[in-house]
Amino acid sequence: MASPVRSKSMATVRVKRFNPDSDAKPYMQEFQVPNLQGTTLLDALHRIKHEQDGSLTFRRSCRHAICGSCAMNVNGRNILVCKTPLQGQLDRKGVVTIKPLPYLPIIKDLVVDRSTFWNEYLRVKPWLVPPATSPEREFRMSPEEVAALHNAETCIMCGACYSACQVVALNKKYIGPHALLKSFLRVLDPRDTIPGERLAEVGTDEGVFRCHTIFNCIDACPKNLNPTQAIETLRRLAQKRTAFEAARVERQRTIAGPLAAEPTPGAEGGVRHVP
Amino acid sequence: MYRSTGFVSFVLRRLTGIALVLYLIAHIWVIGSVNGGTELFNSRLAAVQTPIFKLAEVALLAAVVYHAFDGVRLLIVHYFDVTEYRKSLFYAAFVVSAILTIAGGLPILLFAFQG
Repeated sequence: MASPVRSKSMATVRVKRFNPDSDAKPYMQEFQVPNLQGTTLLDALHRIKHEQDGSLTFRRSCRHAICGSCAMNVNGRNILVCKTPLQGQLDRKGVVTIKPLPYLPIIKDLVVDRSTFWNEYLRVKPWLVPPATSPEREFRMSPEEVAALHNAETCIMCGACYSACQVVALNKKYIGPHALLKSFLRVLDPRDTIPGERLAEVGTDEGVFRCHTIFNCIDACPKNLNPTQAIETLRRLAQKRTAFEAARVERQRTIAGPLAAEPTPGAEGGVRHVP
Repeated sequence: MYRSTGFVSFVLRRLTGIALVLYLIAHIWVIGSVNGGTELFNSRLAAVQTPIFKLAEVALLAAVVYHAFDGVRLLIVHYFDVTEYRKSLFYAAFVVSAILTIAGGLPILLFAFQG
């Protein structure tokens, strides 16, 4: 296919296309869109879909970097296209290359099959398992306990870390950074009652000990989270699971007791705070 | 392929690890021949004294040094929670390895090619 004429007023968007019904293998296709300030990559994809090729397929929903639908590989980096300006991604020739998330099967164009991503997520029981008896008032976490979570609760499950991980590419049994980050969140949550079970699940050669510390998950995360650090923390805790479980039982007692609503100063009676 | 400094270090770690295993096999092949008598040992030792093997020794030195310092880099990450310095640590391991390879490799090559 001949390349269209390029000009500074127009940006060239190279998109990886693949239709399993008609294409033997993926190919790159170029589109021209206006190079306007304030245009995001998602805007550019919408313009292409609405004005040039309605068959272009991609996921998007909220347009506010919170739903995690629009993670794609742009110029070799996994990012959310809804929050990324077009002009910031153009090279000197005014070209940006958009591909689907790597290492995942392509369903069509920029849409990938995330089945393994979600299966591994469910494997770590991502939900909170609270004590059987509720405290008289609210569960209270100390500021140190909240800080130890390192904002892990803000993960939007976009899959950018998962598909940037070479270990995932090499071993589909690997739990993956997204699920391990969620497990980290639950294990360090003082309200959770099954940290030992969680550590047993992730403390294996399919879990935290499979990570090769490549750091791609950190580089890819659009929310600036740190799955590698979470994995390192889980590694340490998995090696002293029994002591950690005992500390959690004691912490649960202080949560569910009559002093539940009192502030918990420092780390007294609580879990070890991992920096 | 998702390219990054982490990926480069991952590939180098594996390649140098494989190189070390191959060296170990060759090492045992030579040293183990001492059980076969002096002649066999001397012949095998002579086989690995050629200039090409001297170059390979420098490559081996590079592999050993890089693999070691990459391991140190990972230990630092494991024990000191310094993931924000991940790229600096990689470059530091690479530069230190390069310096030590040059420092150790030059004498090897000088002795080898000056007779």
